[in-house]
Amino acid sequence: MNRSPFRGLNAILFKEFITVLRDPMTLFFMLFPPLVEMIAFGYALDNDVKHMPLAILNEDRTVESRRFLDRFVNTETFRIVGEVQTIEEMASEIRKGRASVGMQIPPHFTRDLRAGHPATVQMLIDGSNSTTALQALNTALGVALTQSVEMMMGETGRRTVPVEIRPQMLYNPTMRSPNFYVPGVIGIVLQIGTTFATAMAVVRERERGTLEQLLVSPLSRWGLMLGKLVPYLCIGMLMAMLLFSIMRFLFAVPIAGSVIALLFATFVYCFALLSIGLFVGTKAENQMQALQMSMMFVLPSVFFSGFIFPRETMPWIFYALGSILPTTYFISLIRAIILRGANFFEYWHALTILTGMAVFLFCVCALRFRKKIG
Amino acid sequence: MSDAMIECEGLTKRFGNFTAVDHVSFSVARGSIFGFLGPNGSGKSTVIRMLCGILEPTEGTARIAGRDIAREGDETKEMIGYMSQKFSLYDELTVNENLVFSGKLYSLPDKELKRRRDELIGITHLEPYLDRRAALLSGGWRQRLAMACALMHKPTVLFLDEPTAGIDPVARRELWDLLFEFAGQGMTLFVTTHYMDEAERCSHVGYIYNSRLMVCGEPDDLKRMPEVSPPGTRRLDVTCDHVTVALRAMREVKGVLNATVFGQSMHLLVDETVRRQEIDEKLRSVGIASPEIHEIGPSLEDVFVTLTAKHAASNQQERAA
Repeated sequence: MNRSPFRGLNAILFKEFITVLRDPMTLFFMLFPPLVEMIAFGYALDNDVKHMPLAILNEDRTVESRRFLDRFVNTETFRIVGEVQTIEEMASEIRKGRASVGMQIPPHFTRDLRAGHPATVQMLIDGSNSTTALQALNTALGVALTQSVEMMMGETGRRTVPVEIRPQMLYNPTMRSPNFYVPGVIGIVLQIGTTFATAMAVVRERERGTLEQLLVSPLSRWGLMLGKLVPYLCIGMLMAMLLFSIMRFLFAVPIAGSVIALLFATFVYCFALLSIGLFVGTKAENQMQALQMSMMFVLPSVFFSGFIFPRETMPWIFYALGSILPTTYFISLIRAIILRGANFFEYWHALTILTGMAVFLFCVCALRFRKKIG
Repeated sequence: MSDAMIECEGLTKRFGNFTAVDHVSFSVARGSIFGFLGPNGSGKSTVIRMLCGILEPTEGTARIAGRDIAREGDETKEMIGYMSQKFSLYDELTVNENLVFSGKLYSLPDKELKRRRDELIGITHLEPYLDRRAALLSGGWRQRLAMACALMHKPTVLFLDEPTAGIDPVARRELWDLLFEFAGQGMTLFVTTHYMDEAERCSHVGYIYNSRLMVCGEPDDLKRMPEVSPPGTRRLDVTCDHVTVALRAMREVKGVLNATVFGQSMHLLVDETVRRQEIDEKLRSVGIASPEIHEIGPSLEDVFVTLTAKHAASNQQERAA
């Protein structure tokens, strides 16, 4: 007699695959929203500051002052949205949100410049968004400094500056933010789709009363759990491959490392997520509860996985919280593989932890699942 | 080997402070149809679930074919089939796929699975619907499919939890014909129901009320119980016009212990001393002529009504004391 620990697995697989494949709409609604989320997230999370609206109050109106302004526009950080006549008008433009930065060039700008007096330019920066404000400030300082250094070099006849930093930006030379964010978005989006899917698959059985029918049979819990997990693992991998394709071809993020390693890491990650889904499914009484419990697992990973905010600056408690989330390790893994082209010996510890989590979560689900009701 | 296929002793289930099943003991012999009756919430389904091994008893033991469910769960699960109240089928699977699924669940080898499926399709006449999704079947056909699924692994004991709730009378009768056939082949059936006519067809019945098994035995033995048929009384069926008027009149007659309306007639439990003439006269006095009167035996409903009333009365006394 068949006493394998996976008894009944083939029955569950048979049923789940039919269930999933029979209804193209269900499949569509499992795959489609993550793709949309991915594209939306990918575009929304672009914090490369470009073409910030700049309002000008030019009281000097000389060739020099216009050339100075051109230098600002040429950085591509700013774009001139209009000229104003008074300083009050400029402040009002910023308050209205039509301009993020205002620049006032005083009437004696060219005169001071020619006379060798310090020429001052006033800048008003909307500081409510600290990221863009900081970038505006840095760019402005840079422009002014460059012009000052050029003029001083012209006066002294020196050809070089005394100290020069020659930076080499590794792994993301153009500093595009999609390269940083999009792999993280994949980690988050995968989580939403897969966790819900298995949680729902188990809860549906409970709601319809079919779970009772399964429990009456000699089906083993390992067979049930694995049978529920495998079909969604296939869908999860399919979804991941679509997401990676979008990343590669729509957001033009190159994959520096091994694609096989990337898919293996994704496989382990999906396994861990689906196990969380199973856990939720075995605890929740109905679909509403399952949804809320899944959110409880999904939300922290958005904040504490290092997806947006660097974990290093978090208070220790949130850092610790991030350490128990599979998403944290997955995001660090795929950033290493995709962006830095790391090899196995350079990321093995994250992969080991992730694998350990996947195995642990699955075992907990199966062992804690009692073949009883009530 | 004992011939008892289902045995339970002191089976008890408590949910917190609430006792859903209170020290229930009975046994069901091989090949019998055991009808399990009781109002909603009396503990019928809880007993079935404990016997199927999906609910752990708080106290007591249950055995299937001599094997303790708590200790030999996997072995007993091979032997039982279970058809729940809801006919739990997979709606998105076709009739055929539901059957194949059930077979695989019990690890039937492919050949046997096919053979068994064809056999059950023959018995249940599901042939024309094989490729139809279970969701699109009507109640009667869903119930047949659910039963076929429960039978794929040839269980020796079949539990049916209200198998006829909400299906049409024709399907109901056909189901019972099937049940008799299975019992004839040696299968033991455990059926819960609300229908008295179904209870009458069972070889044994048990009646559970307020979590306690009030009575258990063959229907004929139950009807002969002294509480139900007190010595010196008989039951009469009186058919006449204006039954409700007649009922009120009958309750005034000395020696009429109980009177109940049954459709166009009423059932009376009367003292042996009461003669037909008295009944005739009383009815004529309220303007009802030519009643048809004949003697009848008690029905199972009479049994359960009597026992429930007695139980309620003793409860009241307890509370008063």
